[in-house]
Amino acid sequence: MPRVAVLGIESTAHTFGCGVALDDGRILSNVNSTYTPKVGGIHPRESSQHHSSVAPQVVRRALEEAGLSFEEIDAIAVTLGPGLGPCLRVGATIARALSIVHGKPLVPVNHAVAHIEIAKLATGLEDPLIVFVSGGNTIIASYSDGRYRFFGETLDLALGNMLDSFAREAGLPHPGGPKVEELAQRGTKLLRLPYIVKGQDISLSGLLTAAIKLLKEGCRLEDLCYSVQEYAFDMLAEVAERALAYTEKKELVLTGGVARNRELQRKLRIVAEEHGASFGVVPPELAGDNGAMIAWTGALAYKHGVVVEVEKSYVKPRWRLDEVDVPWVEG
Amino acid sequence: MRLTYLGLKGELIKKGAEAELYKVTFLGLPAILKRRVPKPYRARELDEYIRRTRTAHEVTMMLHARACGVPVPAIYDVDPDEGVIVMEYIPGPTLRELTSRGVDVKPIFRLVGFYVGRMHRGQVVHGDLTPANIVVPEAEKPFFVDFGLSERTGELEALGTDVHLMLRALESTHYLKVKELFNSFLEGYREVMGARAEEVFKKVLEIRRRGRYVEERRAKVR
Repeated sequence: MPRVAVLGIESTAHTFGCGVALDDGRILSNVNSTYTPKVGGIHPRESSQHHSSVAPQVVRRALEEAGLSFEEIDAIAVTLGPGLGPCLRVGATIARALSIVHGKPLVPVNHAVAHIEIAKLATGLEDPLIVFVSGGNTIIASYSDGRYRFFGETLDLALGNMLDSFAREAGLPHPGGPKVEELAQRGTKLLRLPYIVKGQDISLSGLLTAAIKLLKEGCRLEDLCYSVQEYAFDMLAEVAERALAYTEKKELVLTGGVARNRELQRKLRIVAEEHGASFGVVPPELAGDNGAMIAWTGALAYKHGVVVEVEKSYVKPRWRLDEVDVPWVEG
Repeated sequence: MRLTYLGLKGELIKKGAEAELYKVTFLGLPAILKRRVPKPYRARELDEYIRRTRTAHEVTMMLHARACGVPVPAIYDVDPDEGVIVMEYIPGPTLRELTSRGVDVKPIFRLVGFYVGRMHRGQVVHGDLTPANIVVPEAEKPFFVDFGLSERTGELEALGTDVHLMLRALESTHYLKVKELFNSFLEGYREVMGARAEEVFKKVLEIRRRGRYVEERRAKVR
C-alpha cells in the first residue's frame, strides 16, 4: 500500500483538535483548542459551543501545517467515544460532513485506544502495560487476544477529575491538577487519608471527601496537596505494580493528561525499574486530548480496513476500551 | 537471592508485587517466609504503616478463613514490624498456571466457588481473589493465599467486589474460557450461599455497570 495520510478529529471533552498523520508514524500537524470554563468544571453544552466555533479554523490550520490539501488525504478519522455526548457530536458532525463532501472514508476511533497508540508511537514501546490517566479516565490495561483488556481501573472518580475537584474546592483555577502538583512540592507533612485498593482497582472518592474535610478544618494547603498526590499516586502505583507482576509485561507506558505529572512519573518509573521493565511517558504535547492521536490511530485502523458508514457513525459516549478490536496490534 | 531471618536461611522463590516469598525450613518443616518489602516509591511513613497493618491483618484473616473451613496454609510465625509471616509450604502450581496449561480446571473452579462461598458465609472477603492467589496441590483441594487485602465483612458490596474480581481476572488472562470457568465457580458458590448467591451475582453485574464507560444497562455478563 502506498503512503496513507489521515486527518483526525478529536472533541471528546474540553479540547477540539485536528491533526494529520501518515501511516509510517510521522505526525504532520497537531492543532488543538481547549475550552476553559470561567467557573467550575467543564459544562458539556458550553464546551460543545466552543468546539463548534473553533472547528473550521482548527481543521484548516491542521491541513495548512501538514502542507496537504483534502485531495491528498486518504481518510477522515474521528473519536466516536467515550466522552461527553454534546462534545462528541460536534466532532462527529464535522467529520461526517468532510467525509461526504470530499468523498473520503470515515474511520471510527476510540479515544482511549488513541491515547494508547500515540504513547506507543512516541515512546517506541511495543507491548507495554498501559497506565492511562486523564480527567475522565484511570485505566490500567494491556493487550491480549485482539483487544486492550482492563487490568484495573478506578471504581469511582478518575484521577484527573479528583485532582481538579479538590483544586476547585481549594479555590484553585481550572484545570487544577498542575496547580496541585506545584503546591505539593512545598508540602512537608503527610496527613492521614483513606488508602483504598480493592484487588486491582482503586477508589478515589473517599480520598476526595476526606481531603475536602481536612481543607475545611484549616489544614495547610501545601500539605494537603502533597498528601492527596501521595495517596492517590501510591494507590495507582501499587495496582500498576501488581499488574506488571501479574501480566509479566516488560514495558510500562504512562499516557493521558495526568501523565504530565512529574511525581506520578517518578513513582511509576521506580515501579518499572523494580520489575526490570522499560518505562516510557507520552511527551507533554501529546499527553492531553489532541487531534494527532486520532489521526495516527485512524491511520493504523484504516490500513486494516476499519471504516464506518456515515449513516452508522453514531457517537458512543460510553464506548469501552475493551469493546474495540485492534487488528493492527500483533500479539 | 538468599535471606537470613531469625536464623532461617531461604531461597527466593517468588517476587510478587508487594512481597517476596522464600522457601525456608522452620522447626524441621518446609515453610514459606513471606516478607513485605519496603516500596521506594512510597513516602516512608505511609510505607511502614501499610506493611505493618497488612501483615498483622493478613494473619488474622487467614485464621478466620481457616475457621470457616477454607484450605489456607497454617501460620507458623509472624513479625509485623519486619512485615514477615512464616507459613506452611503448599507444593503445587497456581490455578492460573494450571489454567494456562490447558488442563480441565472446571472441577477446581467449582471447588474454588465452594470455598469462596464458605469464606463469604463466614464474613471473610478475600480482596484479591484471582487464580494467581490459589495454589492447587496435586489431586487436592485448592489452597487460598495472599489475604493482604482481605476484609472482615458480610456486606453485599464487598462480596460482589470479590466475585467481580475473579471474573475480571479471568477476562484479562483466560479470555477464551471465561464463561465456562466462571459458571463452574458460580455453581460451587451457589452450593454454599444458596439464595444469597443470586443477590451477590446481581451485585457483580451492578459493579460492572458502575465501571466508567460501560455500555449502559447492559443486561448480562459475556
